[in-house]
Amino acid sequence: MPVKEEKIMKQISIPVEGMTCAACVARVERALKNTPGVADTAVNLVTGKVSITYDPQKVSVEQLVKTIRELGYQVPTGEIHLTVRGMSCAACVARVERAVSGLPGVLNVAVSLPAEYARVTFYPGTVTPAQIREAIAGLGYEVAEKATGQEALDRERQARRQEIHRQARNMWVAWPLSLLVMLGMFRDVWILPRFVPEFMGNTLFLWALTTPVVFIAGWQFFVHSFNGLKKGATDMNLLYATGIGAAYIIATINTFWPGAGFGGKGATFFESAALLTAFIVLGRYLEALTRGRVSEAIRKLLNLQPKTARVIREGREMEIAALDVVPGDVVVVRPGESIPVDGRVIEGHSAVDESMITGESIPVEKKPGDEVIGATINKTGTFKFEATRVGRDTALARIIRLVEDAQATRAPVQRLADLVAGHFIAGVHVLALVVFLFWFFYGYHAFFRPDSHFILSPYSLAQVGVFGFALLLSVTTLVISCPCALGLATPSAMMAGTGKGAENGILFKGADAVEATAALQAVLFDKTGTITRGEPSLTNVVPAPGFSQEELLRLAAAAEKNSEHPLGEAIVRGAEKAGVAVEEAEEFEAIPGHGIKARYQGRTILLGNRRLMEREGVSIETLLPSVKSLEQDGKTAMFLAVDGQAAGVIAVADTIKEHVPQAIARLKKMGMQVIMITGDNRRTAEAIARQAGIESVLAEVLPQDKAEEVRRLQARGLRVAMVGDGINDAPALAAADVGMAIGTGTDIAKETGEVILIKADLRDVVSAIEIARATMRKVRQNLAWAFVYNSLGIPIAAGLLYPSTGLIVSPELAAFFMAMSSVSVTLNTLLLKRFVPSMKRGQRKTRGEAAQPLPGPALR
Amino acid sequence: MNNPARTSVLIYTGISLAAALLFLLATYATGISYPAVARIGGAVWVFILSMIITMPVVISNVNKRHT
Repeated sequence: MPVKEEKIMKQISIPVEGMTCAACVARVERALKNTPGVADTAVNLVTGKVSITYDPQKVSVEQLVKTIRELGYQVPTGEIHLTVRGMSCAACVARVERAVSGLPGVLNVAVSLPAEYARVTFYPGTVTPAQIREAIAGLGYEVAEKATGQEALDRERQARRQEIHRQARNMWVAWPLSLLVMLGMFRDVWILPRFVPEFMGNTLFLWALTTPVVFIAGWQFFVHSFNGLKKGATDMNLLYATGIGAAYIIATINTFWPGAGFGGKGATFFESAALLTAFIVLGRYLEALTRGRVSEAIRKLLNLQPKTARVIREGREMEIAALDVVPGDVVVVRPGESIPVDGRVIEGHSAVDESMITGESIPVEKKPGDEVIGATINKTGTFKFEATRVGRDTALARIIRLVEDAQATRAPVQRLADLVAGHFIAGVHVLALVVFLFWFFYGYHAFFRPDSHFILSPYSLAQVGVFGFALLLSVTTLVISCPCALGLATPSAMMAGTGKGAENGILFKGADAVEATAALQAVLFDKTGTITRGEPSLTNVVPAPGFSQEELLRLAAAAEKNSEHPLGEAIVRGAEKAGVAVEEAEEFEAIPGHGIKARYQGRTILLGNRRLMEREGVSIETLLPSVKSLEQDGKTAMFLAVDGQAAGVIAVADTIKEHVPQAIARLKKMGMQVIMITGDNRRTAEAIARQAGIESVLAEVLPQDKAEEVRRLQARGLRVAMVGDGINDAPALAAADVGMAIGTGTDIAKETGEVILIKADLRDVVSAIEIARATMRKVRQNLAWAFVYNSLGIPIAAGLLYPSTGLIVSPELAAFFMAMSSVSVTLNTLLLKRFVPSMKRGQRKTRGEAAQPLPGPALR
Repeated sequence: MNNPARTSVLIYTGISLAAALLFLLATYATGISYPAVARIGGAVWVFILSMIITMPVVISNVNKRHT
């Protein structure tokens, strides 16, 4: 029937890149029309869009996109970042993900519960951001485009305050009234009759107290669960609503119609309904308080952004908003001020505290030509710099984005928890039904005893009938089974872990990166630029008899003063560092492939290799043993001759970075296999490895073969990290289980590598592994606790202990356990804030606080 | 039936009513003499839980079939 066919047809308009002519148009149209399920297609070359009418039951958007891509054209994807408020558990996360991923054209959805954040990747034209927002809002959650920078900080603070305020108000209603209800319920017990007036035990009075607790403080659960049910979704609120509602209705019936058979006046569980609400509200309140703290790392980073900048425009200095600085502006920074944006120093000298970005506690000297990072603090001098990166492009903005993105990803370990939690709500209701049926048809008749009591309560259940008893156990099972802790266990620890990494200048690109880093068994280091400085330095000055070291260095430096050769520059730098005054030679001649010839203070100086000495007829026999020994250490030795006489040997080499041996030793102590990989010759490589303390060396490996070496190690069953500079080592970084890209402050936007070390300090490799291990330890502890809680709590709540003890868990005790389980998971996660990586202990912490030395492993 | 919402309501309410009825019949079939309130209260509770269990499953399945 054509009418029906039209109804199920959908139309989308997908942008396509790469179409250049009418032939492209025809190609795309033909390919799409030949796809089963496509009714019509029209390509607009000018707008670069393809309009497709298709049957969603026969073909999906993904298949249509694949068809276009197979023709060699690109279909761009869009991404939106949303703040989603009101999610309380993993089931909520699953609901949001299901609703959004069900929209046609949505490629990927990542929702973070603790960050209240959703990132959606989609094909523009197939679905709009508004439709995505509507889909989430339709589930009953508050959704807004995620703000950035200060705006986000303000909004987040405001929302957090509102939630804390709302739950505090609910607490003020719930707790005083619930305590009065409890007093009233137990007024006949112990010494209470002496103090509690009789009217407080009146069921009508108790009903009057309980009603506002249920309908004011507990109203949120009914509203949320109803909104969810309308959309066919269930979450924790439904558990609360069913539990509170059932307890309240039974108590009300027993109050007004005691003969109805629900246990009569003796079974008015007002304290259950009231305390159940009070404990759940307490849980929500504590969660609102603590959840904000877990995401403190992002807040700290956002707080670093300076609000104003002093720039020179039209020849005068003026103060403007930091956001208004444009690339090319000359910015003036005085001592004690924050640097507003990224840039390059053009005038002046200073020391800059970069600890907030790089984790490096010692201020870094800045001179003209050096890069400065926005949000770092100028310590000593005034300087001017030219703004190079502003707004969303600054290092800080990119760090914040990376951390936020990482916090929204999901670790493999979380998948099982999510799967369980996502199906838990329905499962719990099935369980509640089974429990009810069991106790109604069998359990009550087989096991009921008149001395029945609630655990930790003198309340007698003697008068409770079969229905009241079965219902009570069914409700308690509902309440205790809440998977809050399970849902929070992994993401809260991951947020804290990635935040801790950012604090220390280590950026994990996702939760999977944290998990993979924690499981590492081998670390492969690139040599040049990673273990070594990547530029030659002067290492040895060996004078021949009759010459002093200083004289030799002075002559060599003078001869090389005008040289642009890296070896010559290394000699000049070395001489300056040694305090030798470097003068200029009168004449200078570079002899390609040999060295240099210069004239200085009337003397002819030759500096170069053996061939140069042979060519000029200089005898170097006496120097050869020294040269051989230096070359064995992987150094480049150069002969120096003055007026045709051998004067000595000068050696330069790429030297290892500071702290490398310390980092390598620690890695070995942690049980890691440490390997160095380089394209250099074996002799040089082994010399460097010896200095670094590395026994395993893979030398003479071409850059393209480094990835193959990584795979070879993986084939031996090792989980391998590759540490490199992120550009030359990209294939190896990508092939490794964890690619660690070493950055240099501002250069953090590297695409390759799961972990980015902002500063080029190998001790951060150790810190990254330690932070990842500490995070995974927290994840395991949290998951274990959540699983133990649920697997112990549910059978007990279902009445497992009852036949032998006559005791059952009251709904309010179940609510207390449930609230405590999620609060304890969050508190356990917060302990991660105290974690200090071993290599940072003893150093001063960022922002000038003294680090607390912690004994042994800093965190259990 | 072209309205997925109405289809869903009919299906999950039907299933839940059937479950409640089955429960009611079971209270007679066991031979135990249950008070009327227990029978009716139990049937209501079974109906509520069945609704909660079946609603999301039915709604998402019916929606899937209609998109």
